[in-house]
Amino acid sequence: MKALRQIAALIRKDLGLQFRSKETLALIFVFSVLVVLIFAFAFGPEFPTEKTERGKLTASVLWTAFVFAGIITLNRSFTIERSHGALHGIRLTGVDASHVYLSKVVSNVVFLFLLEIVITPIALQFFELFDDVTVGIFLKLLGVLSIGTLGFCAVGVLLAGMSTSTNGGESLLSVILLPLVIPIIMGGTKCTVSILVTGGLEDRFWLGLLVGSSLIFLASAYLLADAVIEE
Amino acid sequence: MRLNASQITKNFGHRTIVKNVNLTINPGEVVAIFGPNGAGKTTFIKILATLLRPTSGKLDIEGMDAIADYAQVRNTLGVIVHEHLAYPTLTPFENLKFFGQMYGINDLENRCKTLLAEVGLQRFVHEPLHIFSRGMTQRFMIARALLHHPSILLLDEPFSGLDASAKQFVIDRITQERQDGKSVLITTHNTELGYLVGTRFFFMINGELEEIATKGEIEVEALLHLYEERLIDTTSN
Repeated sequence: MKALRQIAALIRKDLGLQFRSKETLALIFVFSVLVVLIFAFAFGPEFPTEKTERGKLTASVLWTAFVFAGIITLNRSFTIERSHGALHGIRLTGVDASHVYLSKVVSNVVFLFLLEIVITPIALQFFELFDDVTVGIFLKLLGVLSIGTLGFCAVGVLLAGMSTSTNGGESLLSVILLPLVIPIIMGGTKCTVSILVTGGLEDRFWLGLLVGSSLIFLASAYLLADAVIEE
Repeated sequence: MRLNASQITKNFGHRTIVKNVNLTINPGEVVAIFGPNGAGKTTFIKILATLLRPTSGKLDIEGMDAIADYAQVRNTLGVIVHEHLAYPTLTPFENLKFFGQMYGINDLENRCKTLLAEVGLQRFVHEPLHIFSRGMTQRFMIARALLHHPSILLLDEPFSGLDASAKQFVIDRITQERQDGKSVLITTHNTELGYLVGTRFFFMINGELEEIATKGEIEVEALLHLYEERLIDTTSN
């Protein structure tokens, strides 16, 4: 019970700090809209008539926006902890490092999921897929995005914890995180394309890759959290 | 004894910052360590606070191995270092409440209000920490360090950047904590203030700790003279 109370308090604090300053929220929202606009201008104003092509384009735009918005969010979430020694303050309470890790994963997933709920319909509208997407398809889409976000944050939180303690950590995170999350990006984009084009998941392999790699990342990062946060 | 550090050494790369340091602290004792900037005081206090792992040596706190069982030991420590150890965008009350939840303190709201009143911040309970002056921040940090009733206080440069009234507040608070049976370690380069609150005195120069005297054995002028002598010796060598 104490562990759950601590994790809940840590999540409340993380989300409270992010929503209070609204800096990160504004930054990732503007960034994601910009990504959608750039792709829309580059490929528009007349988009491919084939739904398959538009589905592929939309999936790549969504995952590009969310991966880079995710990197910004992860960096910010640890910069807050490091800048005035707040993470040392948390360590001094004797709280288990794995609780800190789990709370960071949850708060970052929640934060990015809110972004995905807002940005996905905007992208669908720009790439002329909005009318083809029913509520059911939209929910499936959010399901795939949230699994991908969980895997991304699972490994991202661990690496952000390491990189923000070094000089030039913000750029370092992109360099070390992106190669690691390739299975998640591959699985996620293929599932997104499938949902947008057919309304379902045609090939279960990609879903398996997405779910499997997310769970493996979560489990292994959880086990390594103590070493990263304590060192 | 509450704290026993034995043969503590800390290297950063090829540089040895803390060299084979031995120190014991007993209940009701205020150990004052004097040393110039870069002497290794902050590194040593971070090792005692379990925030840094020593390269070698043994550290026992309240009968526990502080290097292996650091999570259990941390509940017994109240720490002030140069960083706030808190969130500047939160108010002092929000900060104390959050850290209190982490410690699992009962009747938390009352504890936070009482502490903030004790350190004289009751009028600023709902102001964010980042607008605080150095003295107000130091008052908050004292409240944060005392929140969970620790038995050992580790205070790194508690007087730096404070005006006369804030210094007096810190002196009074350390004296009160000592009278309550707590063990206190302070590091400072201000020998007069250190002498005022301390009961046993050490010099730390170039990472080496040297025991000088207890309060009954030395006058403040002699301590100051000795400290200046040591500093001159070190610079001339």
